[in-house]
Amino acid sequence: MDQRGVGMSSDFSLFERHLDALYRSALRLTRKPEDAEDLVQETYLRAYRYRNRFKPGTNEKAWLFTIMTNVFRNKLRKRPAPEDSIDQPGTDFDIYDQMRRDGMPVHLMSPEEIIVDRGFGDEVKHALEELPVPMRMVVVLVDVEDFSYKEVASILGIKIGTVMSRLHRGRQALQKKLWEYSGRPKAPSLAVGAR
Amino acid sequence: MGDHCEQTMRRLNTYIDRELSETEVSKVKAHLDDCPPCEQVFDFQAEMKRLVRKECCTDDAPARLRDWVRQLGTEKSKPAG
Repeated sequence: MDQRGVGMSSDFSLFERHLDALYRSALRLTRKPEDAEDLVQETYLRAYRYRNRFKPGTNEKAWLFTIMTNVFRNKLRKRPAPEDSIDQPGTDFDIYDQMRRDGMPVHLMSPEEIIVDRGFGDEVKHALEELPVPMRMVVVLVDVEDFSYKEVASILGIKIGTVMSRLHRGRQALQKKLWEYSGRPKAPSLAVGAR
Repeated sequence: MGDHCEQTMRRLNTYIDRELSETEVSKVKAHLDDCPPCEQVFDFQAEMKRLVRKECCTDDAPARLRDWVRQLGTEKSKPAG
């Protein structure tokens, strides 16, 4: 096999730079540190194996995330999680709208005050981890990893329109979870007839 | 809610995700300057996005994983034989 010794270690340090990003996203996907570590290891092994297919100068972070999301989806296929259907229609919900309808001064409050300050610390992570995988992947890639819609479409092999609708529904579902964690009336239907 | 508000609300996600063209951005900004209720929604959702990022960026990879990746990069990059 051809081993191009020289450029290789520098190529790999380029990949190593994204380790924390891959790991934190792997944690959100797998929900478990041991599984996240396995997923990241497999991602780097593949990145190494297919390193000659990486075009220098292109986005190496997107390349690594493409590998990781594919590895993850293959693992899921072997061990499908029951809650991973995204075919159920979602109810429209967002915290801002809910609070406004409840007559609260939401324009004077930050999401941080509403969610984190009343809670137990990790609610955003927990809420994210409860989203169905397809939505969770899009929210993580856009909101946490700061990829563009186009990059996410390419990473996941889906259309930009699908990225946008999953993002929209994912954000709403996330806010719904956070709303419930914050100990307020269950959203949205129970809020009306509150005791 | 007026027509302008509805048009602007449709661009909520694309605006906070910086997916709009400059022309579209200035249209949205012009409306938000005139419409505090819309501006508050936009501010809230943009803040929400920042919060998700901030809360999820606290986990760094374990040191042994970093060592393993480094090892993979250096060991195998030596010329074979």
